Amino acid sequence: MLRFYVWLYVAFLYAPIAIITLFSFHSSASLTFPFEGVSLRWYAKIFSDTTFLNSLTNSLIVGASTAAVTTVLGSLTALGLARLKGRIQTVFGLLAFGPVALPGLFLGIALVMLFSQVGLQRSLVTVTIAHVLFTLPFFIEAVRSRIEYFDLSLEEAARDLGATPLQSFRLVTLPIIGPTIGGAAILSFALSFDEFIITVFVSGNETTLPLTIWSMMRRAVSPDINAASVISLGLSIGLILIGGLLVWYQRRLALSARAKDLET
Amino acid sequence: MSTPNIVELYGVTKAFGALTVLHDIDLGIREGEILTLLGPSGCGKTTLMRIIAGFEATTHGRVTIKGSDVSYLPPDKRPVNMVFQRYALFPHLDVFDNVAFGLRLKKWPKERVREAVQHMLHLVQLDDYGSRWIHELSGGQAQRVALARALVNAPSVLLLDEPLAALDLKIRHHMLAELKRIHQETGTTFIYVTHDQDEATILSDRIVLMNKGCIEQIGTPEEMYAHPGSLFCARFLGETNILSGAVSATDSEATFVNVGPGTAKVPANGTAVLLGQSVSLAIRPEALQVARIGAGEAAPEGVNALEGVVDDVVFMGSRVVYSIRTPIETIKYQETRSLDGSMLARGERVRASWRPEAAVLLTR
Repeated sequence: MLRFYVWLYVAFLYAPIAIITLFSFHSSASLTFPFEGVSLRWYAKIFSDTTFLNSLTNSLIVGASTAAVTTVLGSLTALGLARLKGRIQTVFGLLAFGPVALPGLFLGIALVMLFSQVGLQRSLVTVTIAHVLFTLPFFIEAVRSRIEYFDLSLEEAARDLGATPLQSFRLVTLPIIGPTIGGAAILSFALSFDEFIITVFVSGNETTLPLTIWSMMRRAVSPDINAASVISLGLSIGLILIGGLLVWYQRRLALSARAKDLET
Repeated sequence: MSTPNIVELYGVTKAFGALTVLHDIDLGIREGEILTLLGPSGCGKTTLMRIIAGFEATTHGRVTIKGSDVSYLPPDKRPVNMVFQRYALFPHLDVFDNVAFGLRLKKWPKERVREAVQHMLHLVQLDDYGSRWIHELSGGQAQRVALARALVNAPSVLLLDEPLAALDLKIRHHMLAELKRIHQETGTTFIYVTHDQDEATILSDRIVLMNKGCIEQIGTPEEMYAHPGSLFCARFLGETNILSGAVSATDSEATFVNVGPGTAKVPANGTAVLLGQSVSLAIRPEALQVARIGAGEAAPEGVNALEGVVDDVVFMGSRVVYSIRTPIETIKYQETRSLDGSMLARGERVRASWRPEAAVLLTR
């Protein structure tokens, strides 16, 4: 019985993905079984649609800018947090991670108010700002969990051997935590690439991939939506996998190094 | 004119917020010596070393190295190098690159770096380990790499922060001998921080005993052991018996102290005492003489003697340690194992006595 439920659960989780992927390759416009044959015509169609291509480009631009800004701000925050002690560290740690709990709806409305008060036109810039706000807590948390295992005496050792603060960061700190930061940067790209609710509020006349798919959906349920969704899904999954693997690998290295420390 | 000391500390005080961890420390470290900063945890010894290395700034006071004031220099501008407690080897570099780190920062040419690193790896007996990764090393090997990485920079002073604390006992003794050898071969001044009195005694030319942010006593290991200046020092270095009592008489030759039922005579050593003042006597366990008292024999009236009963016998191979319960204290007595195997037994009545010069009079 248990097995049955597990399979039911898996089917429940993944059937939509399987079906949408399957029908994105369907040779006919029908969205129901029977399946009549395989073709790439919907992909061809979607790639000749300028609205789709434009929004895909926008999403890639926003994702890349978000990842870049979040990486700089987030790395500095995480490194700073690691150097704080005791209660101050707890408080600032919570402040940094807190926004995760904010509903997207609330963030979206709050940002629209803020942007109009400072007179900032809604554009890809405001989208990027919003996405940085949204991805930053995730980034900081991912990097912090690795930096906790970073031995600050390594930086002291570098200083002791004649390195300036900048050299010790470049020659010691960065090579050790770099892959973690890379992984977290990919995660923020993926989060930004998928973001919908906040984007609806702050995008103005610009459109991103999730917004475009949503509006296509409202016009008519057409098979090229399947293709668009599968492209978006594939990109996200691929990025998250790469990012997750990097973070996991780094953490494992750090943990085994620590386990070895304790042995001696 | 240069000073005879390679490092000098003048009135070094360090406070973290309201907590003062170092009080007005004056100290000179002689060129070429192994000086140990010894003390219990929290005594300020590590902070003092970090001040010399440049990782902590003094709240008051100055530090000079080779006669020039380094108080405001960052660690990378000071001619000292450090061996960290947990080695702090760079995990993303192999052994060779770890050792070469400092020289490359100094922009040494490739060929000279290679020569210097190989010479250093030879010195610490890790000739073929250059391409090993740090996580492949044992604790003892990591320790040697840390030493090589610091020494290759030819520092004026090598700072060692409890370098053996993470090693097990057997390797620790081996590494102590290694440190002595390396010290002799390089002639570098060592400042060594430890809480372990054995390490300090084995290794040091001089020991600086620290307590609660102050220097308690400075001296060679022999001086410190034979002439502790305080109860703290007597207790911290080696086993000792402490007998407390009041001064009953004093003259230019000797001081007499009431110790339980008897009296102890201590040669005057310049310590000023008042009649009736309570003082302590420190007597090392191996400085006692112990003799059996026959059954029915009256306890002899004693100067420098206590009567007691053997409470415990601990056989430690080359020596035997007895606990003797006397009317005032349970004291330790230690003798080398006698070849005929004769030992005192538990419950035997004994008389423990000592020569006047075996006791050290302590007023603090």
